[in-house]
Amino acid sequence: MNDDYLWDKSGEPDPQIQQLEEILGTLRYQPKPLRLTSRRKYIPLLAIAASIVVALLTGGLWLESQKTEGSIPAVAIAEPANPKINPPISVLNRTPKTRKRVLVRHDRREALAAKQQLMFALRLASEKLNSAYRRTQDKRSSYENNLPN
Amino acid sequence: MATANMLVINPLARAVPAPENERATELPVEIALVAAALAGDREGFGRLYDLYAPLVHGILLARVPRAEVDDLVQDIFLHAFKKLHTLRDSAAFGPWIAMIARNRAVDFHRRSRQTVEITDELRGSDTQESKAAEILELIRDLPEAYRETLVLRLVEGMTGPEIAGRTGLTAASVRVNLHRGMKLLREKLTLTEGL
Repeated sequence: MNDDYLWDKSGEPDPQIQQLEEILGTLRYQPKPLRLTSRRKYIPLLAIAASIVVALLTGGLWLESQKTEGSIPAVAIAEPANPKINPPISVLNRTPKTRKRVLVRHDRREALAAKQQLMFALRLASEKLNSAYRRTQDKRSSYENNLPN
Repeated sequence: MATANMLVINPLARAVPAPENERATELPVEIALVAAALAGDREGFGRLYDLYAPLVHGILLARVPRAEVDDLVQDIFLHAFKKLHTLRDSAAFGPWIAMIARNRAVDFHRRSRQTVEITDELRGSDTQESKAAEILELIRDLPEAYRETLVLRLVEGMTGPEIAGRTGLTAASVRVNLHRGMKLLREKLTLTEGL
């Protein structure tokens, strides 16, 4: 069989090869712009870094709120003498700041627990970041070792 | 006759580099582009990408799932851009990047878990595309040297001399691989139609 058409598309066209070219041509390379930055490798690291930043911001805000509440003396916490019978006008007209003082002990317990959780989350995120970085380095070095030159 | 002898002696020849006189005529351009890219000219490297992306695409398409091919093409050219200084012979950019693509495909299979691609590809709503995916599967079942040259010829539309020039294989090897691969593919297609 003359395979000139298969070789360099010269000579008499082979109908089966032409049909295959037509069908398989749908899978042909479609030109795309070249990107010379490794997008895929940095996505996990970016995500981890972003979560750490969010955690730090949350921690910073929490510490800030603690400072404000810590300046309120514990002795200032006082219940009205008999609120059920005759609540004084001052209690009824409490400002948000006064209500905050009444709740401060309970808040502190919760805040301490939140702080411990936050510290744990930060340690965990840091460990994960280190682990991801090590994995990326290992993969990269083994990939480069497998390539020619 | 020489071709017939080659069929018997060296049917899967693919590691034989082509003699200088058999290389494609685009080599001087390629050498200049490699030199420009080494000097930091990104546009020069971009032109190398335009010239060789179909080759890399075809090599990958013959070996890895279609959904992975485009990303891998980008990864390979990114790697080539970083490692271009290690290329000793500027005229051998084609064979060099073809080898990177083959190694990357092997690496892909070593790292990824075995997946069944047929379902995704054959469920395509486009009939022509699903037919193409079926035929591609048949080509992928052929020996490696045949499947690569057939994909470059039938999918990427390259001629035999172009395949030889860009991969660095001898024209004789490419011709043999095309001829024998096509013969095997015809047999498989006949069997498939008979079912």
